[in-house]
Amino acid sequence: MAPTQTSESAANVKVDTAAIRAREQVTARRVMFAGSGEPLALIGAMVVLIVIFSILNPRFATIENLQNVLNQASLPLIIGLGATLVILIGSIDLSVEGVMGASGVAFVLLSANSRGGHDTGLWAWILPLVLAAALGATSGLIYTMLRVPSFIVTLGMWFVGFGIATILYGTDAYPELTDDTVTLWVAKITLGLPNGFWVAAILTVLMALVIRFTRFGRVALAMGNNEEIARSNGMPIVRNKVFIFIVAGLFSGLAGILATMQMGGTSNHIGDGYLFITIPAVVIGGTSLGGGKGGVFRTAIGVLLLTILNNGLVLAGVSPSYQSAVSGAILVVAIVAAAWPQRGRLRIAK
Amino acid sequence: MTATISDTGSVTNTKSTEGNRLRVAGKLWQAGGPLVIFIAMFAVVAILTPAFIGSGGITIVAASAAPILLVALGQAFVLNIGSIDLSNAAITVLGAILLAMLLGPLAIAAPIVVLVLVTLFGAVNGFLLAYTQVPSFALTLGTLGIFKAASLVVSGATTVYVSQNKEVVSPLYTTQLAGLPLTFVLGVVVAAIAYLFLRFTRAGMGMTAIGKNESGAIFSAVRTRALKITAFALSGFMAGLAGMTIIAQAGSASAMGLGSDLLLPAIAAAIVGGTSISGGVTNPLNVILGALTIALVPIATAAIGVAAEAQNLVYGVVIIVVVALTLTRSRTAIVK
Amino acid sequence: MTKAKEATTPVLRLTDVKKSFGSVHALKGISLEIHRGEVIGLIGENGAGKSTLLKILTGIYQPDKGTIAVNGSTVKFRNPRDSAASGIGVVHQEQSLFTNLTVAENIAMNGAASKGYGTTLGFYRWGKLNKAAASTLEIIGSKLNPKTRVGDLSFVDRQMVEIARAISVDTSKNATPLVILDEPTSLLERGETAILEREIRKLKDFGSVIFVSHRLDEIIRNCDRILVMRHGELVADRVTTSVTEDELFKLMVGHESHATAHERRARPANEVPAIEVTGLTRKGKFKNVSLSVHSGRVTAIVGTSGSGREEFSRAIFGAEKFDGGTIVLNGQPARGWRIPKAVKRGMGFVPAERKVEGMVGGFSAAENIVLTHPGDAAIGPILLPWKRNKIAQRWFSTLDVRPNDISQNLERFSGGNQQKVVMAKWLNDPELRVLVLDHPLRGLDPGAAETVNEQIKEACKKGTAVILLADTLEEALEMGDDVVVMRDGVISATYDLSVDNPSTLDLLERMV
Repeated sequence: MAPTQTSESAANVKVDTAAIRAREQVTARRVMFAGSGEPLALIGAMVVLIVIFSILNPRFATIENLQNVLNQASLPLIIGLGATLVILIGSIDLSVEGVMGASGVAFVLLSANSRGGHDTGLWAWILPLVLAAALGATSGLIYTMLRVPSFIVTLGMWFVGFGIATILYGTDAYPELTDDTVTLWVAKITLGLPNGFWVAAILTVLMALVIRFTRFGRVALAMGNNEEIARSNGMPIVRNKVFIFIVAGLFSGLAGILATMQMGGTSNHIGDGYLFITIPAVVIGGTSLGGGKGGVFRTAIGVLLLTILNNGLVLAGVSPSYQSAVSGAILVVAIVAAAWPQRGRLRIAK
Repeated sequence: MTATISDTGSVTNTKSTEGNRLRVAGKLWQAGGPLVIFIAMFAVVAILTPAFIGSGGITIVAASAAPILLVALGQAFVLNIGSIDLSNAAITVLGAILLAMLLGPLAIAAPIVVLVLVTLFGAVNGFLLAYTQVPSFALTLGTLGIFKAASLVVSGATTVYVSQNKEVVSPLYTTQLAGLPLTFVLGVVVAAIAYLFLRFTRAGMGMTAIGKNESGAIFSAVRTRALKITAFALSGFMAGLAGMTIIAQAGSASAMGLGSDLLLPAIAAAIVGGTSISGGVTNPLNVILGALTIALVPIATAAIGVAAEAQNLVYGVVIIVVVALTLTRSRTAIVK
Repeated sequence: MTKAKEATTPVLRLTDVKKSFGSVHALKGISLEIHRGEVIGLIGENGAGKSTLLKILTGIYQPDKGTIAVNGSTVKFRNPRDSAASGIGVVHQEQSLFTNLTVAENIAMNGAASKGYGTTLGFYRWGKLNKAAASTLEIIGSKLNPKTRVGDLSFVDRQMVEIARAISVDTSKNATPLVILDEPTSLLERGETAILEREIRKLKDFGSVIFVSHRLDEIIRNCDRILVMRHGELVADRVTTSVTEDELFKLMVGHESHATAHERRARPANEVPAIEVTGLTRKGKFKNVSLSVHSGRVTAIVGTSGSGREEFSRAIFGAEKFDGGTIVLNGQPARGWRIPKAVKRGMGFVPAERKVEGMVGGFSAAENIVLTHPGDAAIGPILLPWKRNKIAQRWFSTLDVRPNDISQNLERFSGGNQQKVVMAKWLNDPELRVLVLDHPLRGLDPGAAETVNEQIKEACKKGTAVILLADTLEEALEMGDDVVVMRDGVISATYDLSVDNPSTLDLLERMV
């Protein structure tokens, strides 16, 4: 072992270590507070909106309306959980509305309904969810095995799911659920909050735990950050991706069932419009479309924010024609505000 | 296994000749795949429904494909720089509505005014993207909502009919060239110009460079911001042309009517036409075939006699299958 | 008996290992031994077979013939996990950490270690995970907090985590860790390599190290023995004290170094400098930096990371902003400075991150060459492909780029040839006034590095002013007419090499 310039290296070691240790400490301090900026800003925005809307229409700030808001937020939140998972790995799931339709129609037909169907008990839940999972699995498999971009696969599956819903629906009259307990369950208040929201909240906490504490969740985050490294580390990429799409499908299916229950019946169009509520909510919440960054609590904030917005606009008497403009404008403002501090000549954003 | 070529030129890769053959095959498929697919689909329809060709089936497909083609070409420009434009179909609708309202008072000036406006709308998208550096998916999702609302407000949520001067644009639809309506021919001409632009101009190469490696492009002094704005402006412009074809065909426009659901078919058409969703790869001439293919599906399923309820299902399956076939896959690329 | 056996049984022994790909013989029969506590240097040009050998050791390839023995027992690595299970860890050139996860989690991601390293039945036990990570870090003397997010760490700290990850092998098996460091210092600055060298010394107590590098001085400084590979064979196995850098070069490349001495011009008295920077400042990065470079001269800027030299060089190219000061190019002040403007005024920039910033890999070599300055290949906005090909072909022969195929995508060429094409892109500008090069020889083997240096000298002869951020101090002293030392954002020393004669130690003192 022959270091040729011993004095030089020894001096370096002493001086440099000190400088680098010092930098380490600064980093550690900065790290503690990093990452909490965005959600705080959003919560602040929510508070501002609540104040504004309460002024515009005093009915906004009532308990009844609050429960209403939470009820309206339940389904987008449930779908959002699946969407967050998919977006965390850098993919996207456009099939949401189709899967909702397929599960919803299946649920109605398997329950006591006006077309004469019988109450099949638990099967009315199991079969539609299996259908949803199968659709998700198909998306996942085509995506991983045939390497078709998720945008296209789920776009196609949207039509497939919608098509299945259409075929199941057939040509008869609109099927209505005849059992009132079923119909009223979603909005029913238990312990101060609507049942639907309880379901969404519990699932949200569950997903958060899964992402934080299970290998499945950690690998998903790793994949979203750098799939190539994940692959060369021998992580089960294909298995995980398919599983993620199955989970997303299940959440969409569940949302379809709950939506059907709430509507008291369904058509194949039960899912219409949910995609363009859910995706902006996830993005506004701060989950990056590129993957690897974000989480379900952020999505929950995003969903709440948009729901409060829509609810408030309606109560404030804004014409429905303008609603998409306002949501659109908020989305644009939110992402510009989030991206602004990181601007740079060399920053790449696609 | 990627090939590494040492500084002395020797290739250390077992499958070098095999790799070369695969690469050539891949390039051929990239160029000719969409054509093969379209001919195959068309042949299937012709065999199952011989009357299809006779009764003007080709004309119907081309007429239906025209607006899809134009929107898809605009989308191809944006996909080529690595972004996506979710709002251009909404710009089409807005443009059509504005055109319907302005044709009466402005006659021949109306199309020009509308085209200028839609190009500006696109440019605004591009400007926001280039200067605030936000992701295009979220940005154009937002502007989509704004344009949609604008359509509803401007049209008063009803159908707007062209009051006068329909003749300014309707010949686009009624005139035919070899059985193809001029609306489609317009699309083909635009595609040809787009092809030449991308391959033989510095701006076109610059756009493709941005799609392939934006950092590399920046350091090579490519004017990335100007080109991004241009790509989105072109997307708006072509959306406006698509709006014109709608007025030519229907004589009216509404936020819910003809042309209101062009977004997904147009994206599918661009991708079936060989455009890469991650950027840097596109061939406008193949997008023509992509648009024809996508337009053919619903028409074909109806002609063959597939039950109305099953048409969506078929549409979805066909999209997946066709894209799975036409997609050029690099072995090492990450698919998202 | 066991103690004696331990001392003599090599940690790793390769016997006549052969590997071919079709008709290409990548390894022609390699035999070597590594003992516990040894640091072995592995050098060789690109294409000599180094990476094939490493891939066999890490289980990515399997040898066609020959045997591998770890601690005396023959092993077969069917995949990277087998190799890791035998105690072989590798730290690659490219960072392989997940930036959104913590240090502890990244360390645990090493396949062999993850079982029972802190997870139970697929559930993460963060407390255990963090403790295990902390103890691994302690082995290499790092005091990083395992809960830190990797994305927030400096490059040097990330290297620490990479090493920790490589050695977090399954210690329950009593495997002797063999750590392979694949060009670990190519991205490190001089001051930081000292840290790494300290880690290497610590690793000697713990296991063995294979150190791969192009930097011959570092190899000599850190290794006990040096293995030289050339054309798939092990051409030399020398004890470090018995070789010199020149001998190593000759063994690697096959001939003596061609490097010509740089003709030094004295600083001209009355000429307007090609570029004159006065008081350039950017908050937090560099302050009040002034220098001027005349046509045909080379100014080398040296400094550690944090010295601000990278940010400074990018700022004068318009790639990053600056808050104060002026830039004057050929007597004309620069206003609203951005890259397209800088390039129009005759500047060029060869970035350090070649694949990400220096080139467009998906374009062909020809397309890359004319991307910035098409010259005859364009009439206004219109491109003329046949003229472009002519220009590209001309550069290919001037720079001896191999293989001679201008239509091949640039990403498929080796690093050295890629860099030649990148140089060509800038040299294609007949009015190239100022060329800035940021670590131009990074990752290049000595043969290719020589060619690039020749081109820099050629450019000087044609009148270009060059600003060079050199990879090593030796390079700075060899290539530069002036040497500027930066430290913590300011200039700490300037030397005119036609009159001054600083040693590397002098420079070092001003750098830290």
